Amino acid sequence: MNEDIENRLRNALRRIDPPDGFTEKLLAALPGREVPARVTSLRVARPALPAGRWQRLAAPGALAASLLAAVFVGQQIGERRYANEQRAGLEASRELMQALRVTSRKLDVAYQAVHDHDAPPANVDAEESRT
Amino acid sequence: MQAEPAPFDTRTLLLSARAGDRAAFASLVRLHQSSVYSIGYRMLGRRDAAEDLAQDVFLQLYRKLDSIETLEHLGFWLRRVAANLAIDRLRHAAWSTPMSDDLPEPVAPESDDDPLMTRALSGLLGELAPAARAVMVLRYQEDCDVADIAHALDMPVNTVKSHIKRSLTALRGKMLGARLVTAEDMP
Repeated sequence: MNEDIENRLRNALRRIDPPDGFTEKLLAALPGREVPARVTSLRVARPALPAGRWQRLAAPGALAASLLAAVFVGQQIGERRYANEQRAGLEASRELMQALRVTSRKLDVAYQAVHDHDAPPANVDAEESRT
Repeated sequence: MQAEPAPFDTRTLLLSARAGDRAAFASLVRLHQSSVYSIGYRMLGRRDAAEDLAQDVFLQLYRKLDSIETLEHLGFWLRRVAANLAIDRLRHAAWSTPMSDDLPEPVAPESDDDPLMTRALSGLLGELAPAARAVMVLRYQEDCDVADIAHALDMPVNTVKSHIKRSLTALRGKMLGARLVTAEDMP
């Protein structure tokens, strides 16, 4: 029973055409179509834009160069300070040795003076024995 | 279903229309205009309303061409938009009265059916609720299966089946009540 109604419906509901001029009227009403902009992938764009690549590398490059310069300058300052300290140490050592030498000479002179003072003169001894 | 050009040709048409070729778009319209216009006419019951709806559907298509992936998608998209737009207009406008224009029912050129029966069935169909009417139009005009109708109208498959069953019963009762057929005609 339903099959009969279905067949009648299919016959009754056949497609019909729109009135003449439908397509032309539609085309006249079409807005300007915006064709989407062509998007170029970054992989393709990179070789065409070397300046951008250098700009991107500039910041890390400058940072690396700054670090290297800081390390180099620090190393130079350290070496110079070490050399200065070494030179100052040698100078101090020389001065100490000089001071010790001077002191030693003065002690020698003093010892000689004391020794000379304690020993009786040879002529006095001879005169005393004669008296 | 009407004969359509070879898939390669229509695929080329789709690609050309996407690229902005208006002649290709016009060819796509001519391929599908009877389907879209007929959905509008069966749903809204008036030729001017059907033409207005079909124009709006194709204008939407023109703006959304880039989202159409395949030819099957194009046909499905047009049926879906046309049916849902018609349901919205039936719910929000005053033209829900079926077959309100006085012009004779347009008949498909190849049809050899009784025009009175055709007009009566279309009129009875127009008495169904908008969603049920859309289900019946997609099922018996567009020859869609139940799953496609459910997808197009965003409703569960069982709801589609229920609409079809109840609508067929109601149509049969109305046809018998209007004495368009006798019980012997519909055993």
